[in-house]
Amino acid sequence: MKRKYEGETVDVVIVGAGAAGGVLAKELSEAGMRVVVLEAGPWRDPQHDFASDELAMQQLGWQDTRIVDGADPLQMGHNNCGKGVGGGTVHFTGVFLRFHETDFNAKSLDGVGEDWPIGYADLAPYYDKVEKEIAVSGPKHYPWGSFHGPYPYPERDPISLNAQLFAKGCEKLGIRWVVSPLAILSAPFEDRPPCINRGFCTQGCMPNAKFSTLIVHIPKAIQAGAEVLPDCMVTQVNMGKDGRATGVTFVHNGTAYEQRAKLVIISAYAVETPRLLLNSANAQFPNGLANRSGWVGKAFMTHSSNDVYARFDHDVRLYKGTPVLATTQDFYHLSGEVARGYTLHAHGVRPLSFAKGISKSDGNRPVWGSKLHEAMLDYNAYARITMVGEVLPSPDNTVTLCDEKDLNGMPRAKVTFSYGDNDKLLIDHAVSTMKGILQAAGGKPEFVVPDTAHLMGGCRMGSDPDSSVVNSYGQTHDIPNLFVCDASIFVTSGAGNPTNTVMALASRTADYIKKRASRMEL
Amino acid sequence: MKRLTRYPSYNVMNEQHEWDEHTRKILNSRLQTSGNHSFLTVVEAEMLRSWCSLLVDDHRPEIIQFVLDHIDQSLSSGEESQRKPGIPPAQVLVRKGLEALEKACQSIHTELFFHLEEEQQKQLMEEVSQGEAVPLEVWRHVPQQVFFQKLLTMSIEAYYSHPEVWSEIGFGGPAYPRGYARMEQLDPWEAKEEQRKA
Ligand SMILES: Cc1cc2nc3c(=O)[nH]c(=O)nc-3n(C[C@H](O)[C@H](O)[C@H](O)COP(=O)(O)OP(=O)(O)OC[C@H]3O[C@@H](n4cnc5c(N)ncnc54)[C@H](O)[C@@H]3O)c2cc1C
Ligand code: SF4
Repeated sequence: MKRKYEGETVDVVIVGAGAAGGVLAKELSEAGMRVVVLEAGPWRDPQHDFASDELAMQQLGWQDTRIVDGADPLQMGHNNCGKGVGGGTVHFTGVFLRFHETDFNAKSLDGVGEDWPIGYADLAPYYDKVEKEIAVSGPKHYPWGSFHGPYPYPERDPISLNAQLFAKGCEKLGIRWVVSPLAILSAPFEDRPPCINRGFCTQGCMPNAKFSTLIVHIPKAIQAGAEVLPDCMVTQVNMGKDGRATGVTFVHNGTAYEQRAKLVIISAYAVETPRLLLNSANAQFPNGLANRSGWVGKAFMTHSSNDVYARFDHDVRLYKGTPVLATTQDFYHLSGEVARGYTLHAHGVRPLSFAKGISKSDGNRPVWGSKLHEAMLDYNAYARITMVGEVLPSPDNTVTLCDEKDLNGMPRAKVTFSYGDNDKLLIDHAVSTMKGILQAAGGKPEFVVPDTAHLMGGCRMGSDPDSSVVNSYGQTHDIPNLFVCDASIFVTSGAGNPTNTVMALASRTADYIKKRASRMEL
Repeated sequence: MKRLTRYPSYNVMNEQHEWDEHTRKILNSRLQTSGNHSFLTVVEAEMLRSWCSLLVDDHRPEIIQFVLDHIDQSLSSGEESQRKPGIPPAQVLVRKGLEALEKACQSIHTELFFHLEEEQQKQLMEEVSQGEAVPLEVWRHVPQQVFFQKLLTMSIEAYYSHPEVWSEIGFGGPAYPRGYARMEQLDPWEAKEEQRKA
């Protein structure tokens, strides 16, 4: 393998070229640092490697086996983890929301979950920066949270029939709705065209209308001198006797290599980041790196993401247009029996996911045979709403290592997840709201599909080194030149899609590193 | 009576000249199945042919052959994304499951699964889907519901990716480079409804 920095010690090595890794690579290399990015998956070319096809594009997901345990074992793979340059942003839906002020202090406000060591104001300038950098489209006035718009680019227009039905249902019930803020262009930007409503966002956007770090941040990082190596799986963070990280070991085509670096940043997402830290245990750090507190892999979270399908007496055609084009956050912060809240999206879907979903709609009684076939004949007549529900952090939801090993000899990750009582109440609340909206729009709710989306936590940030893994900049409490920066540093899951927050945090971490490095403090 | 398509004369493949080359190649290859399996044995494939036809409620040979090809390919790749503790890897799960199915059919009906009457087949499938198939000693090492779910998921993946099935459900199909231009009305190439059952 040809390497730019073979045998050298670079300023920064970044593990994972996803949402966070891409931002860090760009920011740090533009600041003149020598950066190497190691990415486990391939480097794809949108126009030639993507296809308008769900089955073929399942390969965008992380398909290596994870062991899933707990009362509510997670469905892993295309559904929640990316693999390849761009990470999850390659096949994310593009919904681009900010967290609300209330997301940062669940414990003080509602007596549940945990408080973050930062508040909304700490992230606000970084949200601004990220949204501007990728020209997020959204409404002129956004009614919820602390940011009320306008967004850099105008909202998408026209919206799909599914989104229009959502709007109609909401209006009948006095629920506010907006055209969703999206990391998808509503007009040309830089050298990219606006969205053509092809609808295959989660199969990878071929025209490049949807932002991903594959097409935005990584090319800019390379322009600034960064080296990005695909198909390189990092198996170990290497440590020196002085208790500082010296670099990483990675495997490419079955051969192990080393990359030495002054600073190691892990941005490998909520399962692989804890796995890597735990697998890097040595005599000095017998329980894994940065794990003096015992919190590596703990308080792992997802979002509840149940879907409700309703049948209409006319065609809706869920395949048309960007999947999510209408949203409400009127239920973002509930009061009463259920703590915290959820976001609702009108959500399009193509036939494979539709069929897979409804086959699981009846709990332990799979829907198959003629029942499935009949429903599918009416695929075009269904509308759908999806929730993004806050799931409270619990120390019992974990990422750990199991005895079974993968092809590189690395122990497989075991992901244990169970919903808590509040999580379940919240799902019930959301499902009944979703049914209500669809009914008000003239539909008949027929399938409720249990599902989850987005992974977070497992290396949470905090001020107290005894109960958290990193500080608010992602710097590990235990090893000053080892950073974790990705969705795993989330303290709570919030009630909206997380990637804007992942990228804002990465941008803030990059600023911190730039400042400290220039003063030789890292 | 069995429900029929609402778009009888629609064929999504008629539009393939509008698609990018990569997508066009992938979809055309689905219409030309091989039947050369690298994981499944001939008997396993025959059992699955009956089983999967009933799972998706369709007996058209070329479509079911694509389902079998997909299952064979998935199992050969060894990729499975996740599994619960104590559950064998997909390859072992399916092989052991089919073995148990064969033994169960022999011991109860002295017949192979694909020789049973359709009603008997469905009955047995229903039992497996609920983890209630007998005789117990035959199924002891097979988590029946997981086995059922695995085959159902793989069958759905392939079946609802077949262009003929897309045409029947009126899915507009690939849309690059042209995209969908009209959101409220139909674009000229989309399926138009010809019959609808109340
Ligand atoms: C289908 C789908 C839809 C989604 N929709 C939305 C949405 O609409 N809005 C939203 O906000 N979020 C959405 N998300 C979530 C979003 O993708 C994630 O929040 C985001 O990508 C997380 O960023 P990250 O940097 O933490 O990790 P990722 O973007 O996942 O990047 C991690 C990268 O690290 C690599 N990696 C892992 N381990 C190693 C290793 N050991 N060595 C080298 N490389 C490694 C991986 O291959 C991957 O490329 C969606 C996700 C999916 C899957
Ligand atoms: S709907 Fe828009 S963003 Fe999504 S894949 Fe199509 S062009 Fe890209």
